[in-house]
Amino acid sequence: MESGRTPETKVSQRFPQRVFEAQLSWISSMVLFFATVYVFLELDVLWVIFGISALSLYVLPIVTLRDPFAALPWEVTLLLAMPIFLHISEGSRILSGDTGWWNSLESLVFALSLSTIGFLLTIELEMFTRVRMNRIFSAFFVVMFTLAASGFWMLGEYLGDAIFGTNNLPSNEFVMTHLLWSMVGGVLMGILYASYLKAMSEKRRSLLGLISVWEVTSWKRS
Amino acid sequence: MLAVAVAGMISGNFTWVPAALIALFMSATPSILRRDLKILLPLELNFMIVLALFLHVVGGFSGFYDRIAWWDHLTHVTSASLIAVLGLVVVVSLDKYTDRIELPRAFLALFIVMFTMAVGVFWELMEYACDQLTGSFLQYSLDDTMVDLFFDAFGGLIVAAAGDYYIKHASEERFADVLDVGETSERIREIISKNRGRK
Repeated sequence: MESGRTPETKVSQRFPQRVFEAQLSWISSMVLFFATVYVFLELDVLWVIFGISALSLYVLPIVTLRDPFAALPWEVTLLLAMPIFLHISEGSRILSGDTGWWNSLESLVFALSLSTIGFLLTIELEMFTRVRMNRIFSAFFVVMFTLAASGFWMLGEYLGDAIFGTNNLPSNEFVMTHLLWSMVGGVLMGILYASYLKAMSEKRRSLLGLISVWEVTSWKRS
Repeated sequence: MLAVAVAGMISGNFTWVPAALIALFMSATPSILRRDLKILLPLELNFMIVLALFLHVVGGFSGFYDRIAWWDHLTHVTSASLIAVLGLVVVVSLDKYTDRIELPRAFLALFIVMFTMAVGVFWELMEYACDQLTGSFLQYSLDDTMVDLFFDAFGGLIVAAAGDYYIKHASEERFADVLDVGETSERIREIISKNRGRK
């Protein structure tokens, strides 16, 4: 398993676990991709922005490392794909009419994926730019990003309602509930992601070959 | 600020008193910490703290909040900018004095906008919670909340742009000199290395 640490030797076939994880990740990303195409055809501007940013965060490491196996961990990809999938699925629309707590669940799932985007930002900014953060700052960034993105999202929906005459935001209470769940999700994921990389087994981290960069603790200003 | 606190006490507007005292305490923190009255916050920052408080109190005092439609927006912009500036100061200090943290200017701008928005959202949530729990009437309507958020974002954007300019053109050591954080940073560094040693 030692040579799994160098992604550029394309010997992925010899590591079944790595192939399996990458496949799971690709499937999740396909969901994300087709959902994005769907909302694009529907001209659902906000969700197009969401889908494109999530997709670019997904594709960036694969393209720059030129290794399709450098895909994000599948659970992260799944979290990215989930809210947009819930958004377009007809079953979910019916449930949100029938079941009282379904909207809250959707808000929470949305918050989870927003915080995931924040988390990926912290990682990929470290990989590809001069930005450096420590653990606490990253966790804070994740929580802050979730709250702020949610706020901007609501502003966008509000503007959309005003311009296109839709009624996505029926009441103040609706918005506040959504933002409240965003905060809950953001704080949860901030705490989770602060220990996520630490908790991941050394073996898996090296198999993924992607986010070990974040773990360099002896980084010094050059 | 002290005057506002006294005026609040006399006129029975007790909600002003903690706000004024907090603002006073905030701007006096460096002096208190170093036990040296000569150390002050940068003038611009102190001015912003006073301005935000002043507009709020004047608004409450003279009924501008109710009479002038855009008064609420004005105070939202000023207080959001204040939050953004405070965030900027903290983040710039972190960038300067923590080895593990480096934040290029473009990222700082993004951070400030997001930070201000996050605080704005948190503020609205607190208002909502307050309304629910105590039956107060802070949030009038959806439109009101959204316009608040819009002006929060606006304030954040202004400060992000101004802060970017400021960092680019003001002398680099300005924050550090005025606040005299050199010694503090040494202490922070000590604490960090101690923590690392423990792991």
